[in-house]
Amino acid sequence: MATLLRSAVLNPEGYRTVRPAGDGGNGKSHSFSSLAPRLDSIEGKTVYLIDTGFGGSGKFLDQLQAWFAERMPSVKTVRRRKTGNIFRDDTKDLWVEVKERGQAAILGVVG
Amino acid sequence: MPHLRFTFVQSPVWGKTKEQLQRDVIEGTDPITGKPVMHEIVDELTKPLSPEDSISRTIPQSAGPESFGPDHAENLQRLFMEKRMTDYLPIVLPTAERVEAMLKGTSRKPEEVVGKMSPTPGVYENWSYTVRQVAVNAVMAGAEPRYFPVILAIASIGKESISSSDNSFAEAVVINGPIRDEIGLNYHIGALGPFSHANATIGRTYTLLSLNGGNCGKVGETYMGVMGNPMNYANIVIAENERESPWEPFSVRHGFKSGENVVSIFEGWGVLSAKNSKHAVWAKEMHFAQELKNISNDQDQLFGLLAVLSPAVASYMKSEGYDSVEKLTDFLYQSQDESTPHFRSKAQINVLVTGSSNNLYWDYGGMRYVKSVSIDEWL
Repeated sequence: MATLLRSAVLNPEGYRTVRPAGDGGNGKSHSFSSLAPRLDSIEGKTVYLIDTGFGGSGKFLDQLQAWFAERMPSVKTVRRRKTGNIFRDDTKDLWVEVKERGQAAILGVVG
Repeated sequence: MPHLRFTFVQSPVWGKTKEQLQRDVIEGTDPITGKPVMHEIVDELTKPLSPEDSISRTIPQSAGPESFGPDHAENLQRLFMEKRMTDYLPIVLPTAERVEAMLKGTSRKPEEVVGKMSPTPGVYENWSYTVRQVAVNAVMAGAEPRYFPVILAIASIGKESISSSDNSFAEAVVINGPIRDEIGLNYHIGALGPFSHANATIGRTYTLLSLNGGNCGKVGETYMGVMGNPMNYANIVIAENERESPWEPFSVRHGFKSGENVVSIFEGWGVLSAKNSKHAVWAKEMHFAQELKNISNDQDQLFGLLAVLSPAVASYMKSEGYDSVEKLTDFLYQSQDESTPHFRSKAQINVLVTGSSNNLYWDYGGMRYVKSVSIDEWL
C-alpha cells in the first residue's frame, strides 16, 4: 500500500557555480564570453595547433599538420604545447602569442 | 561556453598508427554529426558567428526547487532515480525532519558552504554545497548523525568520488583517530567489505554527494568510464587498525597529532588482493617486504602504489627489520640494481594497515594520496 509522506523531501543537489573570481565559488550564475570573430578563409593564414597534453592530442595534431601541408599548403601551421596542466594552471604567454601572431587556433583534446 | 565549436573524432586516438589516424580520424567523419572531420574543422573556423555566439552574457543557474512533493514514497523514490540523484538503490527519503536530525551531528550552521566539486576539476564548472545539502545526501545514504562530522570532512576536501574520466577511477577514504571506535567503523574482519553500518553509509554518502553536490556520474555527460567501477557504489572505506598496526597511524605520519580524528582521500584504480599477483606466492621463507617490492615494480607509475596490509602481514614486515613505514618505503623505492627507481618519488608509495590477523592476506592497488583533513573541525 502506497504511503503518502506528510512532508516534502529536500533536494540533494548543490549550487551550480563557477569558480572565478569574485564570487568565492558561491555564485549562482555562469558568465560566457563572445566567441572570437571567424575568418572568411584560412588560406594564407597562420593557424596554431595547440596540444593540450591529453593522451593522443600530439599524435592527432601531427596528422592534422600533415593534412594541412598536403591539402592546404598556403596555411601556415604552428605547433605548441599548452603550458599548464592538461586541465588547468595555464600561463597566459601562449594565448598572448596566439592572439598576436595567429589568425586561428585549434585545440587538440582527444583521448 | 555553450556555443564553443567542437569537432568530434573517432576515439580512441592514442592507440592508432599514423596510417590509421589519417584514414580513420583525419579523413574520417565526426561520429556525432556524420560530417567529414576536416571539412567540419575548416568550416568551424570560417562559418560566421550566430547572434548567440557574439553575445557576452550571464546565465542564471539554480539547483532547482528546494523540495519535491509531498507525494507517495514510491513516487519520490522513482523521481530521485529518474533525476539520476541516486546510485539506483533505494534511498532513505530526505524529509525535513530527517535532515534536521542529521544536522544535529555537527555544530556548523546549515547554510555554511562546505566545499565545491566537479566531475573533473578544470573541465567542468564547480558546484558548491552547504552543510544542509551534505546532510540531505547523508540521510539518503542511510547515515546516522554521529557519522556526520566524518562526512563533512570528506565533503570539505572537494574531491569527486566519480571522475568523468573514461578510466573508471575509484576513491578510497582513510579514517584515523578515536572516532573510528566512537561511531563503530569496522577495521577488523572484512574491514573493506559491507560489514559495518558506518563504513557502508559514510562511503555511500560520498558517492551520492558526488552525484548531487558535484554533478558527477551523469552518463554520457559527466561520466565516460569505459568499464565503470564497482567500488564507486560506496568507495573504499579504510578505517586503519591502529591498535594492531606495528607502525604509526597514516595521519600521524602526515603531520597530525596522535588522537586527532583525520580523514584522507586516495584516488586511482582501486585495490585488489595481493594473492592475485604472481609475486605473492606462499613460500617456505616468506619475505613480505620483497613481495611487496616485486609487486610495486609491476605497477603503473601514474598513481604509484597503495598497499593495504593486514596487521599480521605488517607485523611480519616489522620482524623483517622494517620498524617504521619510512624504512619500508625507502626499501620499496630503491631500485633493484643501479638503475633509476621505478617510481618518481617515495611519496608515490603509501602503506595502510587494516583488517584482521586470521590469515596473511593483503591488498594493493595503483592509488595516489590526495589530501588529509581534520574531522574534529566538523564536530
